[in-house]
Amino acid sequence: MIGVFLGIDIGSVSTNLVAIDNENNILSSLYLRTNGQPVEASRIGLRKLYKEFNGDIEILGVGTTGSGRQLTGIMVGADVIKNEITAHATATITYAPETRTIFEIGGQDSKIIILKDGMVTDFAMNTVCAAGTGSFLEHQSERLGIPIEKFGDMALTAERNVRIAGRCTVFAESDMIAKQQFGFSKAEIINGLCEALVRNYINNLGRGKKLEPPYVFQGGVAANKGIVVAFEKELNHKVIVPENYGVMGAVGSAILAKELIGRSGKTTKFRGFECAELEFTPTSFICDGCDNACEVIKIIMDGKIVAMWGDRCGKWTNSITI
Amino acid sequence: MKVSFPYMGTTVIYKKLLELLGHEVIEPPVPSQRTIDLGVKNSPEFACYPLKIILGSYIEAIELGATTLVTSGGHGPCRAGFYGETHSRILKNMGYDIDLIVFDAYKRDIMGTIKNVRKIMNGNSLFYLWETLRIVYLMAKSMDKMEKKIQKLRAYEVCYGDCNRAWEKVQKVFNDIKNIEDVKKAKIKSKSILDDIKVIKIPEPEKIRVGIVGEIYVVMEKSINLKIEEILGNMGAEVERSQYISEWIDYNLLPIWISKPHELEILKKGEKYIKEIIGGHAKQTVGHIVDYAERGFDGVVHLMPFACLPELVSQSIIPAITNEYNIPVITLPIDEQTGLANVQTRIEAFLDLIKNKKRIRIA
Repeated sequence: MIGVFLGIDIGSVSTNLVAIDNENNILSSLYLRTNGQPVEASRIGLRKLYKEFNGDIEILGVGTTGSGRQLTGIMVGADVIKNEITAHATATITYAPETRTIFEIGGQDSKIIILKDGMVTDFAMNTVCAAGTGSFLEHQSERLGIPIEKFGDMALTAERNVRIAGRCTVFAESDMIAKQQFGFSKAEIINGLCEALVRNYINNLGRGKKLEPPYVFQGGVAANKGIVVAFEKELNHKVIVPENYGVMGAVGSAILAKELIGRSGKTTKFRGFECAELEFTPTSFICDGCDNACEVIKIIMDGKIVAMWGDRCGKWTNSITI
Repeated sequence: MKVSFPYMGTTVIYKKLLELLGHEVIEPPVPSQRTIDLGVKNSPEFACYPLKIILGSYIEAIELGATTLVTSGGHGPCRAGFYGETHSRILKNMGYDIDLIVFDAYKRDIMGTIKNVRKIMNGNSLFYLWETLRIVYLMAKSMDKMEKKIQKLRAYEVCYGDCNRAWEKVQKVFNDIKNIEDVKKAKIKSKSILDDIKVIKIPEPEKIRVGIVGEIYVVMEKSINLKIEEILGNMGAEVERSQYISEWIDYNLLPIWISKPHELEILKKGEKYIKEIIGGHAKQTVGHIVDYAERGFDGVVHLMPFACLPELVSQSIIPAITNEYNIPVITLPIDEQTGLANVQTRIEAFLDLIKNKKRIRIA
């Protein structure tokens, strides 16, 4: 039986599962599409993981992160439910303690994390617009008919520079369409897009911050070599892409779970791999107890209410006793 | 004449003022998704978010039968100065026959203010008006004091929701006030309500204190700022806002030599970064950040309505203040988006950052 700590990162685009051992070695990592169904994706992930180890696996602790962390955290019985920023930073610090700046670009949001002496000192997340995230690149890859996996390599073959407006996806797209009429090749357009995206990212998130090397670039978009090169060009410095760039959030939450269990000496709250087979339904209703009209979220698992939140007075939250 | 007012913060105070003057008061409902929808649908797209919410709130009050709306005017060179005019035109175009009484800065328009005061006085004597103002002012003072206490206690409550319930009770107690004596009684009663909240004892150096600064409406109205105070409180941080209604009265309505407003000091602290009043609360925002840093707060949350011009200016000055005073600040733009996930993530990470920093400072 292998004892592992499990980290699950439920993002808007992908759901990742990582199993690490006591020495932070990554024993298994899975990268799945969320497809708008965070719970379903986590279930598939759990089943796959169990199969991979032929059932010869013992979960010592679980951490969840990403936008679906709350829901999945309840389903699996997570020990740690932590935000993506802390999770990403934890993972990077563990493997590269001297890192000063983390660029993380995911499906729906992008972040910049500033570190000093292995500690987060500042961070920023894209606020109003998804320009410069994975979803936008994916949309463009569909429009141009080039699979997203080939996007980066193709950008590197560009011979000429094309300047594309990067401030807003709508501007970027109309710029791209216009530049196509000028006879630029797809590769050049894609390269221009990568550069615009990086420019926008640094202007937006790096505003007022001093970005110091070593730079680490992670998140799903780090797979795109065109973006990596554009970063290096913009910063005039090497940018490191870690081996497990796509699953760093999950790695971080596994480490956080390991640390918590180690510190507290408690046993994990993990519900077991069976939880992937149980019926799990989140619902919500408007409480009519008072004028506040709170939207209360109710989670039913295997016919039992396991969690409620969203009420301001605590009437529902406190009604659950486990 | 059925009177209503825009919904912002502790509305019992405005309600009491109008009620004691003998008006029939229509309370606007707490801003909800419907309020937002109504406001957004009927406002110009580029208008600031508070203008839209207040419009929605007006429409809901009118639906409940209000015929007169009383509000304070925004001042300064930003769009807030046009709220009254814009609202009354939109409402007129929508076919509502409404009397919108806007109290602009009285020092600027004395005649207009006198006219407005006459309408609001409702035939009462000047002496009675004075008495009423005194009651309401004392009420605002003591309610703000209670709220400040709640904002601290929430971080340590044993049972989730105790503080929110206590605050609801306090508002009900103050709702029954009729004279100065009642204010004193209400104060005592509320104090005992707060004393009943069970809290966990936390050693002083481990306490986390966070200030909230920014544009007044998004700072004060929790139903539209994603209840940021409660999010912070439930995550274990003591909270203080840059705006409280009694402080607003001190600065905007009372003669400075009587009230000695806190806001003057704040403006002085902001002077170094923004010389002119550029509208909204930009200068106060930077002043408050400096103030919080000097008072040893651990961090500041800066709220701004999306695309609010004055707050965009303060946002770009914040990195300089952060450097100088070594205080972390996070800016959150507020708009129609009501999804909590995003804000929850940022606030959680922000508090992690603060806790880490504190651990270093203590060690």
